[in-house]
Amino acid sequence: MEIIRYRYDVWGEEVILGVSWDLLWVVAVTALILLAAHAIFMAALAKKKAKPSSEGKRVKRHDAIDRAFHWIMAGSVLTLIATGIAPIVGLRISWLNIHWIAGLVLTFVVIFHIIRAMFWQDFKAMLLGPADFKEPFDETIKPGKYSFEQKGMHWAMTVLVLGVIATGILLFLNINTPWWDRPSVADEGALGIYFLLHGTATLALVAFTAIHIYFAVRPEKIFYTRSMVTGWISEAEMKENHDTNKWKPE
Amino acid sequence: MSSHDVMPDMGLYQPVTVEDAAGIARQYSERGWLVGGGQDTYGWLKDRAKRPEVLIDLKGIESMRGIRETADGIEIGALVTLTELTRDPLITERYSLLAEAAGRVASPQIRNVGTIAGNVSQDVRCWYYRRGLNCYRAGGNLCYADTPEGMNREHALFNASRCVAVTPSDTGPALVALEAQMVISNGSSERVVAAEDFFVGPNVDITHTTVLRPGEILTAVRIPAKWANAEFYFEKVADRNVWDFALVSISAAMRVNNGVIEESRMVAGAVEATPRRLDRIEQAIRGKARNQETADEVAALAIQGARPLNYNHFKMPLLENLVNRAVRGHA
Amino acid sequence: MTYMHIGKDFTPPDVEGKVTGAARYAEDFRRDGMVFARLLTSPIPSGRVVSIDASEALAMPGVVGIFTADDLPPSAPPANPALAKEFITYVGQPILAVAAESEEIAEAAIERIAIEFERRPFVVDPLDTLIEGGPDPYPMGNTLIREGAAAAAGTTASGTAVGSIKWTLDQITAFRAGRFPTGAPWGEEWAYGDVDANFAQCSTIIEEPFVTIGQPHHSLESRTGMAYWENGKCYFHGSLQSHTVGHAQLARMVDVDPANLVFINENTGGGFGSKIFPYPMMAVTGRFAKALNRPLQLRITRADEFYIGSARSGMQGWIKVGLRDNGRVGAVDIAIIGDAGSGGGASGSSAAEHVSIMYQPEAMRYRGISLYTNTTPRGAQRGPGQNEMAAVLSPIMDKAGRQAGLDLVELRRINAPGADAKVGPRQGDISSSYYPQAIEQGAALFGWEQKRALPRQISATKVRGIGVGEGYHSAGASGYDGLLRIAPDGKIHLHTGVGNLGTYSYAAVLRAAAETLQCSWENCVIAHGHSDLHLPHSTYQGGSNTIFTETRSSHVAALDAIRKMKQIAAADFGGSVDDYSIGGERVFLTSDSSKGYTYAEVAQKAIELGGEYSGQVFAEDLNDTTKRSVQAMAGTGLIGAAKDTLPKSGTTPGMAVAFVEIELDTETGKFDILDYTGIAECGTVIHPKGLRQAMNGGGVWGFGMAAFERHVYDPQNGLPANVGLYQSKPPTYLDVPLQMKSGAADMPDPQSPVGSRGIGEPAQGCAVAALMSAISDALDGHLFNRTPVTPDMILNQIAQNGYNTGDLKTNTF
Repeated sequence: MEIIRYRYDVWGEEVILGVSWDLLWVVAVTALILLAAHAIFMAALAKKKAKPSSEGKRVKRHDAIDRAFHWIMAGSVLTLIATGIAPIVGLRISWLNIHWIAGLVLTFVVIFHIIRAMFWQDFKAMLLGPADFKEPFDETIKPGKYSFEQKGMHWAMTVLVLGVIATGILLFLNINTPWWDRPSVADEGALGIYFLLHGTATLALVAFTAIHIYFAVRPEKIFYTRSMVTGWISEAEMKENHDTNKWKPE
Repeated sequence: MSSHDVMPDMGLYQPVTVEDAAGIARQYSERGWLVGGGQDTYGWLKDRAKRPEVLIDLKGIESMRGIRETADGIEIGALVTLTELTRDPLITERYSLLAEAAGRVASPQIRNVGTIAGNVSQDVRCWYYRRGLNCYRAGGNLCYADTPEGMNREHALFNASRCVAVTPSDTGPALVALEAQMVISNGSSERVVAAEDFFVGPNVDITHTTVLRPGEILTAVRIPAKWANAEFYFEKVADRNVWDFALVSISAAMRVNNGVIEESRMVAGAVEATPRRLDRIEQAIRGKARNQETADEVAALAIQGARPLNYNHFKMPLLENLVNRAVRGHA
Repeated sequence: MTYMHIGKDFTPPDVEGKVTGAARYAEDFRRDGMVFARLLTSPIPSGRVVSIDASEALAMPGVVGIFTADDLPPSAPPANPALAKEFITYVGQPILAVAAESEEIAEAAIERIAIEFERRPFVVDPLDTLIEGGPDPYPMGNTLIREGAAAAAGTTASGTAVGSIKWTLDQITAFRAGRFPTGAPWGEEWAYGDVDANFAQCSTIIEEPFVTIGQPHHSLESRTGMAYWENGKCYFHGSLQSHTVGHAQLARMVDVDPANLVFINENTGGGFGSKIFPYPMMAVTGRFAKALNRPLQLRITRADEFYIGSARSGMQGWIKVGLRDNGRVGAVDIAIIGDAGSGGGASGSSAAEHVSIMYQPEAMRYRGISLYTNTTPRGAQRGPGQNEMAAVLSPIMDKAGRQAGLDLVELRRINAPGADAKVGPRQGDISSSYYPQAIEQGAALFGWEQKRALPRQISATKVRGIGVGEGYHSAGASGYDGLLRIAPDGKIHLHTGVGNLGTYSYAAVLRAAAETLQCSWENCVIAHGHSDLHLPHSTYQGGSNTIFTETRSSHVAALDAIRKMKQIAAADFGGSVDDYSIGGERVFLTSDSSKGYTYAEVAQKAIELGGEYSGQVFAEDLNDTTKRSVQAMAGTGLIGAAKDTLPKSGTTPGMAVAFVEIELDTETGKFDILDYTGIAECGTVIHPKGLRQAMNGGGVWGFGMAAFERHVYDPQNGLPANVGLYQSKPPTYLDVPLQMKSGAADMPDPQSPVGSRGIGEPAQGCAVAALMSAISDALDGHLFNRTPVTPDMILNQIAQNGYNTGDLKTNTF
C-alpha cells in the first residue's frame, strides 16, 4: 500500500501528487475498530453507576453564540469531509464549489472563535496544563469546565482544522474563484506538498471527527452534546463530572 | 516523454456477446479498455498516455450492430459507423440532424471505422491532456490549459471546473437535441440514460466524460419518434473542413407550425465539457416566429455566463452567430 | 522552338510504384539480423544531461545496446547535435538511441531508462530573449556569431558560436508597438541607394509591424535510415531530397570513405527543404550500426518528425514603404527579428531580398537579427524567407496602394521586375524575366477587372475578397556534372544524382539530354537513387533549383556524348566532326546520311576504342563522385560526362503571381476560396503536368501558411501544442478549391539550353500572398499584420472585441 502518491510534472520529473487515498480506508477501518473496541470494553468493564439526573437546576455551559459557532463549524467540517471524500469514493456530485464555500465558512468561524476565545471567553479554561495529565489516571481528580479528553480533543481539532484551513487556502489560491483566476504553477513539487499536507490533515480530521462524534453520542457523555444544543447541563451532571472549585458557572 | 508509435504489449479480448464483454470489463475494471472503431483508442495507447492492461474489442458483438425501427423511433447499435449514419435512410429521412453531424466528424477514413458509441464516448482533446501530462483530468492536481499564459484557444467557455476541456463530439449535441436515450448494459442488466445526462462535466467527474462505469458498455442509442422529421439545423465550425474538431457546433431540432416555433431543443458543442443545452434560447423562442428578428432578439442569451480564457473569446460571437443561424434557419 | 520532349507530358518511371504502393522507402528495407533503434528525447526545453542509467533497459531480453552523445564526435553550439548532452535546447531533442530485436522492445526499453537532468532557463519568443535580462536559450547567449578566424585556427568546428545580443526595454517596447527601435544593435544589415532621400520623394508612406509564425515541415515519410556494414562498406538506405550532393557529407557523418558509402534512396516521402542535405540523426544510424556490427534501422515517430524534422523560421518585423506619385516604390526600410529555433538560421535577409526584386525599390535598407529560442530547430522550408515575406507584404502593399489610389494589380504591374530588374543588396542582374507578361496573363485568366467590379457584399453575412500575391525564389545554379551512357544495345542510360523528392523533376530534367540526343524517351533508362548505379555529382534538390541546373547538366552530358559519337564517326567515315549530325538515334555524315552509326553501333565502337569514349579517361574538372561513377562504368558503352560550364551570370529568378477570390462568412470567420489562378514565370515549361503539380501543390501549402499552420508553444513550459498532423492542420481537400487554375508565361530563359527555370518555391509564395491579400480585401483592408489568419482572428476583428494577439507575440494562437 502506498502512503504518498507521485506523478510526473510537466517536464517528466517525479513530484508528489498527494496523500494516498488508500489511507482513507485505513483510517476509517482503524477508527471503526478502535471505537468498537472501546465501546465493547466500556460496556464490559464499566461500573454500573447511576447516571446523574438531567432534571433539577440547570447550569449554563455554553453561550448561544458558542453553540452556534460549534454547529456551524461542525457543519462546515462535515461538509468539507463529505465533499472532499465524495470524488475519492466515486460519488458523482459537483463538489468543488460546495467544498471551498464550506472552507471559507469554516475559516471565518474559526477566526471568529479565536478572537472571541482570546478576548471574550475564559481562554484559560481550555488550556492544557501539567495537572491535566494526571486526570485520566486519578479518579479523584475532577476537571474544571473542560475535561482532559475535551481539552485534548479541542486542541487536536484546533491543530487539524488550522492545518486543513492553511493548506486549503493555498489550494484555494490555485483554483478559479469569483475573485481571481488560477495562476500558473511554477513549482509543481510545492503544489504536491500542499496537497499532501491537506490530505494528511484531512485524514487525521476524519479520524478525530469520528472519535469526537463517537464520544459525543456515548451515553455517559451525551449530556455534553445536549448542552451543545441547549446550552445547559444539570447541576447533578456538573457535580458528578466537574470540580466546582475549578468551574464556577455563571 | 519520448514519443512512441507502436502498440504496447497488452492483452486482447474479442468477446462476441455483451455479457462476456461486460464480464471481462468488470473483471479488469480501470485496467481494461473497451475499443470499437479505435479512433480514440490507438492514439492514447501508442502514445503511452493511457496504459490499460487489456483491450476488449467489441467489434465482434453482432447485437451491437445495425439500425432498427422500434415502436417509438429507432435504435442504433453502438457499433454503427458514422458513415453508416450518414447513409441510412431511416436516419437521413427522419433524423437528418444526426446524419449531418455524423457526416462532419473527422474524415471519411475515420468515419468509415469510427462508431456512434465511440464518437459520444471519446475523451476530450485538450492538447495538454492528450500529451500525457498528469493534469486534473488525468488524475493530477492542476490544469495546464487554464493559466495566465495557457494555450487554450479550443477550450471551454462554460462550466469549467478545474479542467477546461470541451466535448469533441459532433454527434453528442445532436443526440441531446433529439432527446436520445443511451442504453447501457453491465452484462446482466440494462439502464437507460437520457443523452443529456449521459455526459458529465469535470465538476462531477473530472476523469470521465460520461456516466459509464467500469464494467458498463454503451450498447445502443435510441432516438424517440418525437423529433422525427422536425426542422433541424446543424453547423460545425472548425479550422479545417475535414479532420478537425469543432471550434463550436450547433444542433437544433424544432417543431414549427405556421412559421411559429412550438417547441425546440438547441444544443451547442465544444463550448464546455458536455454538450451544452441552450435552454434559455429554447424558452425564449417558444411561440415566436422562426425568422431573423427572433434570432437577433435571442441569440445573445446563448453567451450569458460565459467565462472566456486567454484565447477563446472568439467562441462567444461564434456561438451567438450559430444560434442566430439555427433560429433563423439558414447560414 | 519545336521540341521532341520539352514541354510535353510524360509518365515518370516512379509513378506506378507510388500509385500501387510498390515504391519502396527506407523503412521498407530489411536485412538479416537487423535491429530496430528508437530515440529517447528530451522532456525539458533547456538544460543538460547529468547522468543516464540504462542498466534496466540493457538487461531487457532483446535489447542490444544504447548509443549516446559520447559515442559521437563532439559538437559545439550552435551546431545541431545528433544526440544532446551538455546543451539540451528544446523539448523533443534526441538524447540517446536504444536498439533492440524489435520496435516494440526498443520502445519499451526507452521507458526503462532513467535520466537525471539539470534544467536551465528557456524562452520561446525571440523578443523575450532579446530584452535585457531576458532568458537565453543557450547558457552563452541567444544569437549566432561567426568566428571566421577561429574556424580557420581550428578552434571551433563550424566557425560559428553562440553570442548574446540584447535590446533595452524601451527598444523592445517600441518594436512591439510597431515602431522602429531607435539605437538598437543588429546582427546583420545591408542597404543600397539613399533610403532617406528616396523616402523624402514619396507621397505615400506607411509603416507596419508584422509577425509570421514558423511551421513544421511534417514530411509524410518520417525520417528513417537503415544502415549495415559489409567488407568495410557502409550501405545506407535513407530519406533525402538530394542524392549525390549529400554523399560526401553523409560519409563524414558515418565516418567512412565516400568511395565506400553506398547510399540508396530511390523514393522520398517529402522533405520540403528539410531533407536537402544529410541530417544529424543519420550519423546515429550509420555509427550505431557499425558499433553493433548489425544492420540497424532507425525510424522516428510522427511526433519526433515534428521535433527534429525541421521547421520554417518565424519573423517579427517592421517595414516602412514609400510610394512615389507614379506608383513606383521609392524606398523600403525593413527590420526583421528571425526565430531560428534552437538551431539553424533565420531567413530575414532572404525575406528582404524578396521585397527588393518584386517591387524594385529605388533604395532599400534591411536590418536583422537571428535569434535562438528553445523551440524546434529551423531550416529551409519552401521559399525560406521569401514566402513568409510575401505573405505579410502583400496586404501591406495593398494598403499602400489603396492609399495612393492604385488598383492592387496596377501597383504590382508598375513595380514588376522586368528583364532589367535588379536583386538584393548588391543589385545584381537577373538572367531574364517575363514577369510583367505573367501578371497580364494571370489577371486575364482570373478576370481581375471583372471581379473588381463585383459587389463586395454578397449577402447579409458573406463578403467577397479578391487578392493578388507574388512569389519569388532564385531558381538555378551551375557547375554540376551530367552523365549518361549509351549501351551497345542502343539504350540510353541517363544518370542523375538528383534526389527524388516527389516532384518528378529528377526525371524531367533528363529529358533535356534526350532532347539534345534527339532520341526517343522510350529508349531511355533512368539511373537514380542508388550509389551503385553510378551517379554523377548533381545539384541538391531544393531551392527551386533542379530544373534550371540539371537541364544544363543533362545537356552538357549529351553534348559530350554527341561530340564523342561524331568523333568516332568522323574517324571511320572521314571528314570532321562538324560534318556530322545526329537524328533518329544515329550519328551520320550530314551530306550522306547512309554513312554513320546507330547509337548502338557507336556505343560498341566506343567500347572498342576505350579511352575517353568509354570512360577510361575523363575530364579533370569532374567532381570526384562523377569520376568514380565514370570509372565504374568504363568500358560498358559510350560515356557522356561533363561539368556544366555553360555561361551563367546574374540570378536566375523563379517568379509567380497568383489571384484569389474568397467568400468570407462574417458569422463564422471562415472563407471559401472561390477561384485560384497561379501563373508561373519559370522560363520554358518542360513538363506541363509537373508544373501544374507544383503550382497546385504550392498553392495548397500557401493556403495552409496563410490560414492554418503555425507553431504554438506554451511559454510557461516550452511545450509545443501541435505536434501531430491533426493539430498542425495542413489544409484538406475541402479547404481548397476543387479547380485551381494555373499557367505559365512559357518564355525561354537564355541561360538554359532548354529555356527553363525552377518554380517550386514561388508557387507557394504567390498563393499565400494572394490569399492574405484577399482576406484583407474582404475585411475592408484590415491588416492582421501576421500569418496565419485563422477564424478566431477574423471573428475577433469583426466583433471588435480587442482580443486578437498583439504585441508581436509569436509561436502563439
